[in-house]
Amino acid sequence: MRLYWRNGWTLIAFLMFAAFSIPLFTIIGKLFSPPGDSWLHLKNHLIWIYFKETGILLFGVIIMIGIIGVSCAWLVSRYEFTGRKYFEWMLILPLSFPGYIMAYAYTGIFEYTGPLYSFIRNSTGYESGSYLIDLMNMQGAVFIFSISLYPYVYLMARTSFLKQSMVFQEASFLLGKSQWQTFKKIALPLSRPAIVGGLALACMEVLNDYGTVKYLGIQTFTAGIFRAWFSMGDSTSAIYLSAILVLIVFLILFLENSQRGHQKFSSVITSSNNLMMRKITGWKKAVTFAFLFFVVLIAFVLPFLQLCYWSWQNLNKVMDMSFIHLLFRSFLLASVSSILIIAVALTFLYTLRITPIRWIKILCKWSTLGYAIPGAVIAIGVMIPLIRLDKWLVQLMDMHGTLLITGTIAGLIFAYIVRFLAVGYHPLESGFEKVGIQINEASRMAGANSWKTLIKIDLPLIKTSLLAGFILVFVDLLKELPLTLILRPFNFHTLATKAFDLATNEMIAEAALPSLVIIIVGVIPIILLNKLIRTIQV
Amino acid sequence: MEMLHLQGISKKYTGGKIPAVYDITFSVEEGEILALVGESGSGKTTLLRLISGLEHPDEGIIILNGNIIAKGSHSLPAYHREIGMVFQEYALFPHFTILQNVMYGMKYPKNDHRKKAEEILNQVNLIEDPGKYPHQLSGGQQQRVALARALATDPKVLLLDEPFSNLDPSLKQRIRDEMYQIIKRAGITAVFVTHDTGDALTMSDRIAVLHNGILQQIDLPHRVYNTPQNEFVAEMFGIYNKIQVQMTEAGMTSPFGLIPYQQTPKTYHSHAVIEFRPEHVRLENSQKSLSGMVVHVGYFGDHCTVKIKGDQQQTIVINCEPLISIQPGKPIYFSLNTFQIKPIQKV
Repeated sequence: MRLYWRNGWTLIAFLMFAAFSIPLFTIIGKLFSPPGDSWLHLKNHLIWIYFKETGILLFGVIIMIGIIGVSCAWLVSRYEFTGRKYFEWMLILPLSFPGYIMAYAYTGIFEYTGPLYSFIRNSTGYESGSYLIDLMNMQGAVFIFSISLYPYVYLMARTSFLKQSMVFQEASFLLGKSQWQTFKKIALPLSRPAIVGGLALACMEVLNDYGTVKYLGIQTFTAGIFRAWFSMGDSTSAIYLSAILVLIVFLILFLENSQRGHQKFSSVITSSNNLMMRKITGWKKAVTFAFLFFVVLIAFVLPFLQLCYWSWQNLNKVMDMSFIHLLFRSFLLASVSSILIIAVALTFLYTLRITPIRWIKILCKWSTLGYAIPGAVIAIGVMIPLIRLDKWLVQLMDMHGTLLITGTIAGLIFAYIVRFLAVGYHPLESGFEKVGIQINEASRMAGANSWKTLIKIDLPLIKTSLLAGFILVFVDLLKELPLTLILRPFNFHTLATKAFDLATNEMIAEAALPSLVIIIVGVIPIILLNKLIRTIQV
Repeated sequence: MEMLHLQGISKKYTGGKIPAVYDITFSVEEGEILALVGESGSGKTTLLRLISGLEHPDEGIIILNGNIIAKGSHSLPAYHREIGMVFQEYALFPHFTILQNVMYGMKYPKNDHRKKAEEILNQVNLIEDPGKYPHQLSGGQQQRVALARALATDPKVLLLDEPFSNLDPSLKQRIRDEMYQIIKRAGITAVFVTHDTGDALTMSDRIAVLHNGILQQIDLPHRVYNTPQNEFVAEMFGIYNKIQVQMTEAGMTSPFGLIPYQQTPKTYHSHAVIEFRPEHVRLENSQKSLSGMVVHVGYFGDHCTVKIKGDQQQTIVINCEPLISIQPGKPIYFSLNTFQIKPIQKV
């Protein structure tokens, strides 16, 4: 006889948790140690700029994506018009565009020799300097983030509008309220938790971003971390900034969580959920169509075409053996990491499945928290203990000079797992939920041990979830920038870092091809995602 | 006075093979409660939604209080119709309190809203803190709030969609009676949809029976029950016995014996059917009455149902008080209180 929760699974889960929470604890722990040399300078001058710029950026992005996301979601989920089905998924496409690539593309569109500026100059004679619209400022950053991040709000709001029983709106109509009043008083408040959830996700993305703010010259916290780490060589200040950033993230998470806390209602009525779409005609249809068309055009089609144009122009220059190598290496790294992430997620979830006790639950929840933490912070949190480990290994084996793990692929993959575990975790979790626990229990009652049950029963049943999880992680890894930039081995490039490198060295056109690959791969899960939401409608 | 009038209403859903409702005509008087009864798919809910304005008819006219509110595919939108509705699952706005729910559709001067809402909540006998949220209420209380919310707009007609289907059977009886009284006291015209014939019989002034989108019969409850117009209506409201008889001057010869006339008939048909409900039967002692063999006894506490076999394998079911003497295999004697005679035209 032994304690009921003592088995191999819980042991492994605990060890994994211990390893993967090192980065976060490192950062939090460093908050209590004395600051470095340049901290005073940072504190007196830079930190307020970081606060201000991050704050303004977040505020602007929240307003913009709130308006774009909610209005698009409302139009496609409540009205019937020509092309609605296409808009439904085309509105998600910008999700495949990392912010930094969006920024490069728009710089190209607006530059002096760009197609739009040339056209306007030739037809109207208008000139306004070297850029038609200068994006290298706060407004530019808000614009770029808004068009690449609004799908988060759009997706959450649309799912919520679709799930929301039509009955509430019918009740409102019968109580004498118009469409607009009903939207304002019933549909919108009922979807508020979902919309705020989408906004929070977008905020995390903004805080995580390095490529875009670096390119557009915005001084956010993440930019500050990079600057302290690389330019000033002051690791302690970088850690201090990271810790502050983590606090901001937790604040956002807390606000998001508390706004749904006191309203524990379900707006879903299961039966009589007949979704009624109103047909619109005439000028209303024209305006709706024009608005959605404009959004898709600005947020996807134009920048995409710009990248295609550049890629075509530079195909001979860029397309060579080294590009094939780059492609191969990027895909291999992303695949191996994705498989590992899925394996880790599966271990956590399966442990929870067969030992559903409180502390395992907490452990799982904590382990998936990495997704909320900006990549740069995790990178630093991984780097510090790794350097220490390396020093210890060097002493132990009496070698000199080289670091064994720091700056290797192993360190990078470890950091990927810490940050992207949640992306693989959630599809698997819902997969297990759908299968239910009884099937697992039935197998174990029939005499199979937990390992055999996993291989023979559970895994075959959740294989679509495994695949979905893999694809989602893969795409996220392919476009990951800040973490890879810090932890990659010397001279090692992924598609994302290559694109960033070329673009920051004023070779935007050459950056187009790797960017294009990232985007095209990113479109795959979007199609899957849309299918998933559509099944809610049926 | 006619409050609501439907004339030749038809509606076909896109993709549907047959019309959901076809050529429906009837009126509802002011202050009257009408029950729309039918199985699922009979078109009763469609009809209710057509009246409410949530759906629009393909053909026909709907007149509310003398004004045309729908004519063919031209129709007044739901929010201009002054029609109240209590939804099947109540559809209380989950993010509003009871009071906010009730005040939502009011058109009085703003200052009066609160007072009015409290009055109406009183009227529907809701004794609860009006600051509570819908999910804190029981099913019965939620229904009262839904009713109060519908009444708060002073609608011309109140529509109720399966109002009792979500209630516990033990609660249902009480709430049904209470609801009837509240609606009657408010003097409001009401139309409600139900698949439960018990609801329809106890709660309505008149009953309209729908089947496959076609109106089968619309009449007073006891007429629908006792003299159903066709077999479908008859079966809908419970067991309906049929005995084949030959009409002679002495009476009707049947597999259970000679049945005397209640009134002398004008014509005598050689073949006819007499129809009656199980409870329209009286037990007798004398062998001069009708007789048969008990096949099966079903015990219900306050009564029992007895299946009786006569000659030629003909069986009927009757209701009677539970008696020990009634046992399978034993003879039973009875007479009929009321019945309908229907001639059969032999080809």
